[in-house]
Amino acid sequence: MKLLTGFKLAWFGLWSNRFRVLFAMMGVVIGMFAVIVLSAIAIGVKDTMMKQMGGLGAEQILVIPGRVLDTTSGQKDLLSGLTSVPSTLTYEDAKAVEEVENVRSVTPQLETVSFVQWGEGEGTQRLQAAVVGSTDQYARVQHAELAEGRFFTKEEQEKKAKVIVLGSNIHDGLLGKEQVPEESRDGGTPEAEPKPWWQRLLGTVTGQASAEEKAESLVGKDVMIGETSYRVIGVLAPNATLGSSTDNNVVMPIETALVQTDMKNLTKMVVEAESTAVIDQVDVDVFSAIKENHQEIDFSVVKQDQMLEALDRVTSILQVMLAGITLTALVISGTGIMNVMVMSVRERTREIGIRKALGATTFEVMVQFFFETVLLCLLGGVIGLGLGYAFVEVWNANVSIFSLVLPMWAVKLALYSSVVVGTLFGIYPALKAARMNPSKALRFE
Amino acid sequence: MIELREAKKWFRSGGEKVPVLRGVNLRVEQGEYVAIMGKSGSGKSTLLNLLGTLDTLDGGEYELAGKAVHKMSKRKRAALRNKEIGFVFQHFHLIPNLSVYHNVMLPLTYSKRRWSKKRERVMDLLEQVGLAHKKRQKPSRLSGGEKQRVAIARALVNEPGLILADEPTGSLDEETTESVLHLLDRVHKDGATILVITHDMEVAKRAERILFLKNGVLEEWSDEAAYRV
Ligand SMILES: Nc1ncnc2c1ncn2[C@@H]1O[C@H](COP(=O)(O)OP(=O)(O)OP(=O)(O)O)[C@@H](O)[C@H]1O
Ligand SMILES: [Mg+2]
Repeated sequence: MKLLTGFKLAWFGLWSNRFRVLFAMMGVVIGMFAVIVLSAIAIGVKDTMMKQMGGLGAEQILVIPGRVLDTTSGQKDLLSGLTSVPSTLTYEDAKAVEEVENVRSVTPQLETVSFVQWGEGEGTQRLQAAVVGSTDQYARVQHAELAEGRFFTKEEQEKKAKVIVLGSNIHDGLLGKEQVPEESRDGGTPEAEPKPWWQRLLGTVTGQASAEEKAESLVGKDVMIGETSYRVIGVLAPNATLGSSTDNNVVMPIETALVQTDMKNLTKMVVEAESTAVIDQVDVDVFSAIKENHQEIDFSVVKQDQMLEALDRVTSILQVMLAGITLTALVISGTGIMNVMVMSVRERTREIGIRKALGATTFEVMVQFFFETVLLCLLGGVIGLGLGYAFVEVWNANVSIFSLVLPMWAVKLALYSSVVVGTLFGIYPALKAARMNPSKALRFE
Repeated sequence: MIELREAKKWFRSGGEKVPVLRGVNLRVEQGEYVAIMGKSGSGKSTLLNLLGTLDTLDGGEYELAGKAVHKMSKRKRAALRNKEIGFVFQHFHLIPNLSVYHNVMLPLTYSKRRWSKKRERVMDLLEQVGLAHKKRQKPSRLSGGEKQRVAIARALVNEPGLILADEPTGSLDEETTESVLHLLDRVHKDGATILVITHDMEVAKRAERILFLKNGVLEEWSDEAAYRV
């Protein structure tokens, strides 16, 4: 028998049992959908993290509190080896590092949580923010851009000027605007007056997008942090990246922070070398420079490649997890399909008898039912894939925290694995059908 | 055409072997029209399944169209069945999910022969049984007589030399019985060998020869046997 005939028979078989088929397929569809969406999330997260780590340039070195233990292979184990001690890094350490040869810049950062307040009486807005003390290099190192105003200068830093730059969420919050959920930020229209999507689209098309919503700005106004008043000089643009977003930050000069708040110890320090050529030497020198001020090694100096290594390990864990989930989903949907096919074979006993009476060989009956299962799984896989793809598209169009990535290999993997599932779980029902004795099958009521 | 020697068949029932056919001898020439009668449970369907190669002998020999069926592999038997035998059953045995057209097409699907004009062949047969206009219908929407006519068209589509009919009129009323018998007469006239199992004397009378299955063996027709039917 030609393979095509086998396929045609299988297709016919499926089509004439289409309702049951649809039901049976749900397992594969859901399984495949889950796998596709999960891998898109995993890869999306990894990509986003990569970009951020990539934000730590190849010529940059990160100094963090706590000691990173060395693994047995002599590498730094960033994932599990970090002893969590309170930071002992100080602004003096940063000053010392500045003196190291071939260091272009040092950006120390202090961080605490505090209440920020604006307005008086009824309209007072008070909210929690991450208060960061840093240098004029902060925006550059964090890849943050200004939406309005300006960043503070080196002079202001040295003068301990009471100036601050607000993250976008803090700015909006202090103005009493509802916190705009991340999802709808792309739409450009704040929640205040929700419009149906078609109106928003129309607005975008006709170019009359929300002119009246040009909000007032806090630049030039005074804002209270704790008991102290600060002048707002700039607002950061929304910086929607996973983990290290600046949206909920309030940034002030580090000298100001040391004087005005009780922050003493650095949460981290980004050191920039003159070039990648000298990075290894700078790495060693920075370490010794800080060590001079410390009795024990309670800090760590990490280069970009070490970060990437750690990230790689996170990624492999994600991949193993994904493989596990995929396998589970496939086995569950596979057994479901097999169940339905075995039921179908039983119900169609008479049909099998008839086909054999008309001259179908054992092999031909087997091929028909086998292809039915494979086709069923493949169809379910394709539908699940389509739904997963749609989900990724919708997510990416509406959510900006991080974007999902659906790589070609995941698509191929999904399709191949649904065929493999069909093959594995199709054998038993097919054999069951093929082995039937025709005279008994015809007697079957 | 058919040569059955000392054919034996038994079934297992609760660990015990129950003989159904105890040594059947049967010879049917090409182009003959034979009826087989017998009580319910006497083994008529069992015999027909053996002749149709749907089941295997537990003893004895079976030759069909000059070939030793009892020595054949499963695959060879399937091919022989497809090429040489057309079945008509009491309960029609059409595949419920396939249309009339596709039911008739089925034997061609499994045929090893290269049919050049399958579509035309199927339509021609549907024409002959007067059901060309219902080719798209599902079997469930046909009357009993119509179903049996479709089954006959299906049995004929591969131009088999032998038609095996197991109570083909058992589910039909007098009028439709006549139309089915008329069709079988025509097939017989065209040269096919026909073997019919029936309880109905009127049906058996259409055959050239009547046989009687009793106590696991075949007897030639006699008045005494007729009395017992
Ligand atoms: N697969 C089987 N397993 C066990 N017993 C069987 C099997 N097939 C048939 N039999 C038994 O063999 C005997 C003959 O059955 P068969 O169907 O051949 O009778 P029949 O003459 O066709 O009867 P009817 O006129 O009612 O159709 C019965 O007693 C039946 O129970
Ligand atoms: Mg019977």
